[in-house]
Amino acid sequence: MTMSDDARANMEWAEWFQGNYRLMTDEEKALARARLERRYSREYGKAVSVDGTPAQEGVLMGYALNIKKCIGCRRCAKACVEENNQSRGKDQEIEWIRVLKMEKGEFSQEKMNQGYPEGLGIQVGGNAYSPAGVVLEGEHYYQPEAVPEKDSAYMPIACMQCEKPPCVKVCPVRTTYREADGPVVIDYNWCIGCRMCMSACPYWARRFNWSDPKLPKEAMNPVTHYLGNRPRMKGVVEKCTFCIQRTRKGRYPACVEVCPTGARKFGNLLDPNSEVSRIIARKNVFRLKAELNTFPKFFYFMD
Amino acid sequence: MKIPAFLSAALLVAMLSFSSAWAEPVKCFESRKGASEVTQRTIGENLTNVKCSPKTGAVLWWSDPFDGTVPMGDMPVQDANFNSEKAVVKPRSDKLGLLPLCGNTCHTGVLPKGFPQNKDTRQLVLMHQAIVLDSTKLPHGRGNIWCLDCHHSTQRNKLVDHRDNPISFDQPQRLCGKCHGEVYRDWREGIHGKRIGEWASTGTKRWFVCTECHNPHNVQHGDRNRGFAQHQPEAAPALPKGLKTADHERRKSGAASH
Repeated sequence: MTMSDDARANMEWAEWFQGNYRLMTDEEKALARARLERRYSREYGKAVSVDGTPAQEGVLMGYALNIKKCIGCRRCAKACVEENNQSRGKDQEIEWIRVLKMEKGEFSQEKMNQGYPEGLGIQVGGNAYSPAGVVLEGEHYYQPEAVPEKDSAYMPIACMQCEKPPCVKVCPVRTTYREADGPVVIDYNWCIGCRMCMSACPYWARRFNWSDPKLPKEAMNPVTHYLGNRPRMKGVVEKCTFCIQRTRKGRYPACVEVCPTGARKFGNLLDPNSEVSRIIARKNVFRLKAELNTFPKFFYFMD
Repeated sequence: MKIPAFLSAALLVAMLSFSSAWAEPVKCFESRKGASEVTQRTIGENLTNVKCSPKTGAVLWWSDPFDGTVPMGDMPVQDANFNSEKAVVKPRSDKLGLLPLCGNTCHTGVLPKGFPQNKDTRQLVLMHQAIVLDSTKLPHGRGNIWCLDCHHSTQRNKLVDHRDNPISFDQPQRLCGKCHGEVYRDWREGIHGKRIGEWASTGTKRWFVCTECHNPHNVQHGDRNRGFAQHQPEAAPALPKGLKTADHERRKSGAASH
């Protein structure tokens, strides 16, 4: 099969039988990337680069989000799609960022003992009929004329880039792993599509390509990374990588750059002068589902 | 004597509008509508300087974050822990349209007869009602400040500090920071506000100045929530396959969702 006259067949054979990206030698990695560059350039009709910049020493990427500033405009989610070559359109739309709308609730003395189910005295986080605003439930599909709406709070959620990621733990083929500088990545070629990671993820941060991704040629972003936004195939899981193709080159992630309120911050947790380090030092910070010991590198904060 | 509000508003809109968004070049706004627009243009093969949202007209993606920027200039702050040479901003003073003209014709400091001879707060009847309806009740500072506390009285293309020194419109933070000191400190250190470019603490960044995100003329505004004017959101994500509505997400409380 390797000796086939069909260039495409050769390429596909090589892709199917390549090793796990993590275990490849540098030469093998370069070959695999060059192969992909050729293939994508032909498929999308433009010069596509597949980068392989490894993690830098002394960098641990961290993210911070000011939940008091989020206005629920969803520009982050759309910018992410533009940048990271997600599938779009009615048949299969994939967005890595979800923006939850929650009602603003309040804690009051009279309601402290009210809970659900009624009468059992079990406090489940605010009365179900008067939300306390801290329960992780809300709407994704809100579509008002204008945001922010009165008495609403918004909480964007994407991959938390855990230090102890449950998704990595359960992956039977070890296609997903955590890079030394923070992001949890997927070697799409090695993914078998079992979706164990999706059920293990407590943050609903992973998406599955049920069919061939719909990525228009003209909208395709040609600056890609092997572990990041290169076009995915049917049957693989994908997720946020802190825009590895940008951040490894020094640029901010796409969602940080479009946030109109500056709610999103990104920086190096090991650098005391970075934006996130200063936020953690100075602001009220919390992490989602901290009790699960996943140690997210995504911090929510308030002024 | 009294000019109908709609007339003066229409006049202002006609005078101040830079050029219609429906003219040939695609214009989209950067942070908020009404401030810092960019014109979409091609800068390479299949590459535009920005990508705009087809739904809301907001910038969704910058190809070159430093396009059209200039060094921010000095920020006289003691113990400032940043490298101001690496800070760039998008200049706004050259896009001010009519403001320089105002200082040359009427507001030169030599006030003609009949014009108020001091800087005291007064009701404006002829102009600027499109910006703020009642200048004695500016929705900023809860009625304690008015136009000339921020705008220079004779150089209309400048802001003014507390000692009557002009401040460039490119550096509104030097004015805003006088009252909003804590926010200013956070902004300087990258906690507050928006920056694009390089994320390393020593990297070059384009800083968004105060007025690119906040409208100083209506910071306190009726239906607003958390300090930002309302605007149209991007489209909702696609519903899960087989679902026609998102009613399953609604709580039964009957609280107004949507």
